[in-house]
Amino acid sequence: VAGIELPHKQWPELIGSLLSNVHQLPAPTRQATLETLGYICEEVSPDVVDQDHVNKILTAVVQGMNSTEENNDVRLAAVRALYNALGFAQANFSNDMERDYIMRIVCETTLSPDVKIRRAAFECLVAISSTYYEKLAPYIQDIFNITAKAVKEDEEQVALQAIEFWSSICDEEIDILEEYGGDFSADSDIPCFYFIKQALSFLVPMLLETLLKQDEDQDQDEGAWNIAMAGGTCLGLVARTVGDDIVPLVMPFIQENISKPDWRQREAATYAFGSILEGPSPEKLEPLVTMALNFMLTALMKDPSNHVKDTTAWTLGRMFEFLHGTALDTPIITPANCQQIVTVLIQSMKDVPNVAEKACGALYFLAQGYEDAGAASSPLTPYFQDIVQALLTVTHREDAVESRLRTAAYEALNEVVRCSNDETAPMVVQLAPLIMLELHNTLENQKVSSDERQNELQGLLCGCLQVIIQKLGSSEPTKYHFMQYADQIMALFLRVFASRSATAHEEAMLAIGALAYATGPDFAKYMTEFYKYLEMGLQNFEDYQVCAITVGVVGDVCRALEEKILPYCDGIMTQLLKDLSSNQLHRSVKPPIFSCFGDIALAIGENFEKYLLYAMPMLQSAAELSAHTSGADDDMTEYTNSLRNGILEAYSGIFQGFKGSPKTQLLMPYAPHVLQFLDSLYMEKDMDDVVTKTAIGVLGDLADTLGSSAGPLIQQSVSSKDFLKECLSSDDHLIKESAEWAKLAISRAISF
Amino acid sequence: MAPHDLRRPFKRPLISDQEKRRQQSLLRQAQNRRDAQNHARFLASTALSLEQPHELEPE
Repeated sequence: VAGIELPHKQWPELIGSLLSNVHQLPAPTRQATLETLGYICEEVSPDVVDQDHVNKILTAVVQGMNSTEENNDVRLAAVRALYNALGFAQANFSNDMERDYIMRIVCETTLSPDVKIRRAAFECLVAISSTYYEKLAPYIQDIFNITAKAVKEDEEQVALQAIEFWSSICDEEIDILEEYGGDFSADSDIPCFYFIKQALSFLVPMLLETLLKQDEDQDQDEGAWNIAMAGGTCLGLVARTVGDDIVPLVMPFIQENISKPDWRQREAATYAFGSILEGPSPEKLEPLVTMALNFMLTALMKDPSNHVKDTTAWTLGRMFEFLHGTALDTPIITPANCQQIVTVLIQSMKDVPNVAEKACGALYFLAQGYEDAGAASSPLTPYFQDIVQALLTVTHREDAVESRLRTAAYEALNEVVRCSNDETAPMVVQLAPLIMLELHNTLENQKVSSDERQNELQGLLCGCLQVIIQKLGSSEPTKYHFMQYADQIMALFLRVFASRSATAHEEAMLAIGALAYATGPDFAKYMTEFYKYLEMGLQNFEDYQVCAITVGVVGDVCRALEEKILPYCDGIMTQLLKDLSSNQLHRSVKPPIFSCFGDIALAIGENFEKYLLYAMPMLQSAAELSAHTSGADDDMTEYTNSLRNGILEAYSGIFQGFKGSPKTQLLMPYAPHVLQFLDSLYMEKDMDDVVTKTAIGVLGDLADTLGSSAGPLIQQSVSSKDFLKECLSSDDHLIKESAEWAKLAISRAISF
Repeated sequence: MAPHDLRRPFKRPLISDQEKRRQQSLLRQAQNRRDAQNHARFLASTALSLEQPHELEPE
């Protein structure tokens, strides 16, 4: 109720009356009060509670946490309330004395005899690490000491939170350092305090020790999360934060443990190695990886422990992900070792499901490394057939549904197809009917339309066909060969819509979009049957991803069919307009719907006339809403820019679609508003580059289509002067190109 | 006020292949839209530049 009332300034006495409870004697009353305050802080936005109330809430909560509070339930409720109240405490954390006091109480609470209270106190520290990173310097040494003690001695649920504190600090520092972008003199909103770098020599041994505390069945249990997993994940984040400095601290641990008789030591050493492969420079890692590669390949074949093999296959995948590719100077994969690597991975795909899954993952990154090799011969070419065959065999394993194995095999197959070249393209052409047959079989064998595993498999097969279509459609000779399957493949996709799975629908829809692009105007023959599914997709508010993808596919179909889309436009436009007016539809779908108006208009030209009356007011009101972002947070600004881009793409498509038509003047009444919108965007000064490029393009499209009748209007606009001038001298060549276009079109419009 | 789940991705890629397919489709669609738009503008600007020399000569 407070969540509804407080934002409307209702119930002003609530907080005061709750606070009057905290000094009452019965512990359950105090506990319930603190819980209620916690719920209120969780539910309402900090800006609807005034600072005086915030101060009083924090005072009550911190008093409840104090060791003088003898009742553990009350203390726990207080710690959990503080967790929720931290977002309210900006002002208090800026005051040294108040912050010192809160931090002292939180740190003391981590030593409580009650495990739930200790865990909740560490949760507060984790939340503080991300919310108040820049205030932590005076406390970091103490926090290191208490987290180290917890990791070493405390129960797992507490130790996990203590590790999470350091993972969270890594997240913060990675973000800050990314913002510096390697330029250390650059400004960032928050400076980096290099806490990880300073704690490195203590932090790394603490984390390495956790790696030896694996659970027996962690690789089989999808929901597993333990101290070894958390420790290794944190080690990986530390490596990303400090780069090269981590290597000498971890290598002795690896050397010490990698060949020990106890599987835990071998696994921990391998996991440590795999974890630090992202972050340090290739120069630092390449010699080590080259040296380790052979050892890893042997371990993957011969180690008696499945845990060790699982982590070894994963580590090989990480080696290929970060240290293999055409951009790297010294290749770790050479013609000399490529065959051995492929052989071992293929062999490993026959291992238990969790190991085979990681082998498929390694193959994914092995293939990815050759993605930019171009049409030239790839070292994988001689093994292409064997790899594809091995992956298909994996998909047929009876235990392929365990450990996400089947998904991993199809994902690897997709990447192998994406990275195929002229030499291997004929084999991809042959793969198409095989995957089609698989899809056909799942459709024939399907007993109920909601069989989850069947639906998942159909999704994977549609995904694979999408990748194949995109690959083969990208060059004329392979497209020609592929087109023999187009009718059959489309028939299969349409049958997938009979299932009730959103994922399968989404994958089929994406694949159809790729097919429309490859087929071009001939796609018209599928429209009669396809149209009802297109409409269904546009109506799918609940699974908004399906709706968003369908909107994109409408664009694909418009570009493929051009004016042949016309008979379907009444239905499509009706649905798109309904979508825009709906409060139920996820907001992320709305910008692509506006772009889609542009696609339709460009395809059907002046026939868009009958939709102007409906589409233009929608565009106009969205434009007004999106013109100003003042006070919005980063997410909102990003969304607003995507909305602006959608609106502008709609205007571009509409103006260009009407170009040269006798009905051009129908657009004249809308021109003042469009120019006003462009002016206000320019004045607002918060457009990103994409919006800038689209906006200046719209100016050109308007001038080009309306010509001299819009000349005086254009001349009055700021956009045609200052904005255009700025864009003409932009460093971004796309902005510059659009500006050149606008300049040309304007000069013609005003010269008459 | 349930304790939050702190499980992080473990030995799995951060972006699934499904997400990658989705992103690649969006990129392809955006590229195709740009191409269609540029094509329309190219046709228009070719026509414009054929006419323009006469108009702009005084400059």
